[in-house]
Amino acid sequence: VSSRGNAEALVALLVLAALYWVEAGSVGKAAVCYGLAVHMKIYPLTYALPIALRLRARPGRGEGALPARGDRTAKFTFVARLWHLFVKVLNRDVLLFGTVAGSVLAALTVAFYHLYGWEFLEHAYLYHLTRRDIRHNFSPYFYMLYLTAENKWSFALGLAAFLPQLLLLLVVSIAFYRDLAFSCFLHTAIFVTFNKVCTSQYFVWYLCLLPLVMPSIKMSWHRALLLLFLWFIGQGLWLTPAYFLEFKGYNTFLFIWLAGLLFLLINSLIIVQIISHYQKEAQVAKKLKHQ
Amino acid sequence: VTLDVQAACRDTTVTQELLKEGFHRDLLVKVELGEDAGGCAVAAQMRLPPGIYVDPYELATLQQHNLTKAVLFPDVIDLEAPEYMARDLLLLLFLQQDARCPRCFRATVPVHARYHRPAEGTEEALVVLESPEVLLCCCHSHLSAECWEPAEVDTPCSSDTTSPCQWHSTKHKPAYEESVLRVPVGLREHSSLVCALTLLTTGLCSGLILAAACKYGHFL
Repeated sequence: VSSRGNAEALVALLVLAALYWVEAGSVGKAAVCYGLAVHMKIYPLTYALPIALRLRARPGRGEGALPARGDRTAKFTFVARLWHLFVKVLNRDVLLFGTVAGSVLAALTVAFYHLYGWEFLEHAYLYHLTRRDIRHNFSPYFYMLYLTAENKWSFALGLAAFLPQLLLLLVVSIAFYRDLAFSCFLHTAIFVTFNKVCTSQYFVWYLCLLPLVMPSIKMSWHRALLLLFLWFIGQGLWLTPAYFLEFKGYNTFLFIWLAGLLFLLINSLIIVQIISHYQKEAQVAKKLKHQ
Repeated sequence: VTLDVQAACRDTTVTQELLKEGFHRDLLVKVELGEDAGGCAVAAQMRLPPGIYVDPYELATLQQHNLTKAVLFPDVIDLEAPEYMARDLLLLLFLQQDARCPRCFRATVPVHARYHRPAEGTEEALVVLESPEVLLCCCHSHLSAECWEPAEVDTPCSSDTTSPCQWHSTKHKPAYEESVLRVPVGLREHSSLVCALTLLTTGLCSGLILAAACKYGHFL
């Protein structure tokens, strides 16, 4: 039910539990919740990078910590620091997390394979790899993929659609891993917005993390309400031509596509606004220091 | 004598109608028998082209509530497949007595259209539904042999295997009447514009988010 259907409440609970335990320091418990969450729905797999970066940068874990800002002389170029970040990502916590989460996931996969056989593997995992859903959905890519479904370019276009998503996820993980909830929220919002298939069900994935990040976002009520209003308007503008296509039989494909692009623009604007109004105490202190 | 017998065998008429609009329709099948059914169960068998399908789960729910009785073959279908990756379906729909006339029978079944290939020069694809075949399932056979002949149907006529129930189909096939379902499709002419504008917009949006992340994020 969960991997192909809707058991969002459970997945959200497991994701929140995993994030909570990481912040609280119980790596083992976090890994168990995480493994279970990935088994139920694949999308939490993208949290692996922010969680790994967060685990290696925890205070008190001297191993793998970056040189203090004072040493930041010309010796350390940007690339060198990036290399340092990734090479040193494997510390004890990260290895523990990876091992426990991997074992939980493997054990569950084996258990369910015994219960349901090949059908389980096909529906839980393989389906998502080969899925070609060209029916109308919120994704900006929907019409492009529908029109080029049997084209020789369809693989290249699929890849072109995947690259911005991947690049953004990487950059956001590195930029914001210090605040795990914020990083995961941005991760999921970007993943859903730039995905090749997007339905209302996916919105729950990042909305469940919104209460965690709201305190850190210093935005006026007016702005927040305006952005929320825009978000709903974006959906409304898509749903109207979609209704006419599906239930009245009018050919509104162009309108649906344009509404999808507009929705992408609105979502991107909201994400940019959230990033630019994000203010954790450390950041305020940094600002004061530099003044 | 032969002429008299043939004249006595009045033709069965069958009509089908697609109700509602859009991708989700109701297929209404109406049959008027040439002569009395005589306690036989009346059914209509039709071959659904790949452009249209019946949702087996929806059908199971309707059968649970005694609203429709039908048999679908094959009973496992890919609900999401586009038309060019789907197969024909065989639907055997059991009809109920229609109150309007003594020899009238009718039934409705919900059908759904699949996505079709994008087309050039036309905004619609056509799904052609052939005329259904009328079948009678009789257990105490006293049907006139001039009008009805035994038929081979995969589905058993009745659940009671001991009773001599047998399917029959009409000897003289009723007038051929097709039903056409129009399905909107994407236009190939839009391909270049759609690809270009989509990729431009996603590029722009990812650029905006990247810029914001680089400006406000604390790297290393």
